[in-house]
Amino acid sequence: MTDGKIAKSDFDMSRRDFLSTVLSMSALGAAASVMPGISQEAWAASQTVKGYGVTTAQLKDWSIMTKSTGLSIDYTPTNADIGVFMRDVMGNNLGATHDIFIFDGGSEDILGPEGFFAEIDEKNPELTLWERTPDAWKRAAYLRANDKQYGVPVIGNGDCFGYFAAAIDANPNGMDEIPWTTFFEGEKVKGRVAIDRSWLQSMSETANFLKHHGRLDVEDPADLPADKARVVADYLVERKKAGHFRTIFSAFEEQVQLLSNKEVDMINCWEPATKEANNALGPNATIYAFTVEGYYLWGHGANVATAAMQRDNVANIYKLLNYFLGGEYRAYQAKERGYAGPNMDLGVQYAIDHGWSQADIDNLKWTDEKVKRKFQKPFYCKVVPENAAVMEEEWQRFLNA
Amino acid sequence: MTAILDHQDAGPRDTGPRRSLMKRMLDGLSPSRLMVPGFLLFWSLLVIVPLVVIVLFSFLQVRQFRVVYEPTLATWISLIDSGRWMAVVRTLRVALTMTVIEFLLAFPFALWLAKGCRSKTVKAAVITLLTIPFFLDAASRIIVWRSILGTTGAINTALMSLGLVDQPVEWLLYSEFAVHFGLLGTYFPPMVFPIFMSIALIDDEFIQASGDLGASPAQTLFNVILPLALPGIVAGIVFTLVPLMAAFVEPQLLGGGFVDLLGNSVNSALQQLKYPTAAALSTLVVLLLGLCLVALIRVVHRRIDLAAMFVAMRR
Repeated sequence: MTDGKIAKSDFDMSRRDFLSTVLSMSALGAAASVMPGISQEAWAASQTVKGYGVTTAQLKDWSIMTKSTGLSIDYTPTNADIGVFMRDVMGNNLGATHDIFIFDGGSEDILGPEGFFAEIDEKNPELTLWERTPDAWKRAAYLRANDKQYGVPVIGNGDCFGYFAAAIDANPNGMDEIPWTTFFEGEKVKGRVAIDRSWLQSMSETANFLKHHGRLDVEDPADLPADKARVVADYLVERKKAGHFRTIFSAFEEQVQLLSNKEVDMINCWEPATKEANNALGPNATIYAFTVEGYYLWGHGANVATAAMQRDNVANIYKLLNYFLGGEYRAYQAKERGYAGPNMDLGVQYAIDHGWSQADIDNLKWTDEKVKRKFQKPFYCKVVPENAAVMEEEWQRFLNA
Repeated sequence: MTAILDHQDAGPRDTGPRRSLMKRMLDGLSPSRLMVPGFLLFWSLLVIVPLVVIVLFSFLQVRQFRVVYEPTLATWISLIDSGRWMAVVRTLRVALTMTVIEFLLAFPFALWLAKGCRSKTVKAAVITLLTIPFFLDAASRIIVWRSILGTTGAINTALMSLGLVDQPVEWLLYSEFAVHFGLLGTYFPPMVFPIFMSIALIDDEFIQASGDLGASPAQTLFNVILPLALPGIVAGIVFTLVPLMAAFVEPQLLGGGFVDLLGNSVNSALQQLKYPTAAALSTLVVLLLGLCLVALIRVVHRRIDLAAMFVAMRR
């Protein structure tokens, strides 16, 4: 009985405390909201830029940027899922709370003309590196729509597949071009191949492979009309039924696990996955390929939210955009993820100026050469293909076969 | 005597107005007057209206990430063309299979826990262990199995070390077996708990009386325990089958993309903002679940009054 009384008393006291706390917090919030200078202005006055976008665009440690520029970023990472990105930007009106978006170039085809992305102000005084940035990067089609510039190039690469050299009797130095034929039809890797569940990537890569070998007549492997998508899906279904694929993976962590566990011999993964696997298995245990037929060439663009241009934070936003074109960001992205981008020479210079090891400097140079070599092959990805609906439907046929 | 009665009546009469007001309020809440229509209205707003919206949405289409508000059958036709209907059939098959497996494992376990296990400590420990899956994130719990079931995993390593197999057993992972295996742990507690509750409520004297009257253990099980536990069994089946229809994590992580269930298909559609496709799939799920539950009710209807389930719980 006594216990019960004590418990009741405690409960009452807690409830009062709780109500008191809630009321106090509410009053505090209300007071803060009427204080001059709080809210939007305070946000703008700080050096923080709010970003939303793909995980891989992040520096592993943003404090490096803060130290060199005084800027800080409040970055919300997302995966490379175009549907989620479009939903958040269009449906959830993320521009009301975020300043910049970083995603696979191509989203501006819809979000630019629809008014969600602001045109890039090329004359903004904070964008000091714009002029010296090569047109090959800054004028890429995946940053523009309707002859207007909506994006600033951030990083790019040519995606293909990672492999264990011994499994396919390839040169372990990784310099040889490996055909996609080995990936799709190699007898030695039958049942030991992992394919990405992202239809944007896997269907496009398959279409490019089929096109290269004259088995598919299509103009753009990244945007397949219904009849072409059906041919690609039929081929993949046939390979699936032949037992060629070990698994259809869906996350970056899976890519790393599949390679690290040696569960598969080949996988059309992202390059950082091979880097992570090599951290576990040893240097050059896995190789990210140069291919015969081509790559899924992509570039991430940084886009400014239209609403952000009204928030008096524009100078900081453009300072950040300029940072993406600079040497520090370039050097760290290449070192940590193997990704290249515009003004790679500035990255090399940054590494020299900051006393990086010769191996790191050589690695930066190599990253530049590697990406240049890849970009000589077809093709570019398209994150919002006109035929997205039919491609996704055909992909479902592959998944359900 | 009259005075005493008057005096006795005086007490309640002092608080009479308040009591009668409360009584009137309670009367107003009686099932016949307010509760039933109120509940039906609440239920309709909370469940039926969203379902109707989902069904209507399935007759729309998405173009370039935008919903086109023109009625069309295109989404339903695409369910057939894309093979998504196979995911529906596969899901139903897996869900029913798993429900049967869970029941066959859970019933004897619940019987032992409720009537066989006499140690309160052991019983408390077992119940605590059963709740552990609810504390862990499903993905964190399931992904561990990949390291155990893979070709270079613990089981294959052990099998090869013992010389039992020459090559790794590949079907342990990325197969329907792996998905069933993963689902086993997740959906065991939802089946066990209701059955355990209903068996625990069975009076021990009923079981003793059955034995005293000459019934064999099997006869006691089938003629006494099983009928009295039926409410719990029905609840267990519902709590297991319904969420199984939406199972997502296990097929994703252990199926390796080869066991595409409805949850994965809906997720894939939503990722492309194909809300009508997700709505059509959801409509199919509701329809299938409705059919399953109707079948279940028809099967058990002759044995028990489902409404008596709550009476049994109260007792």
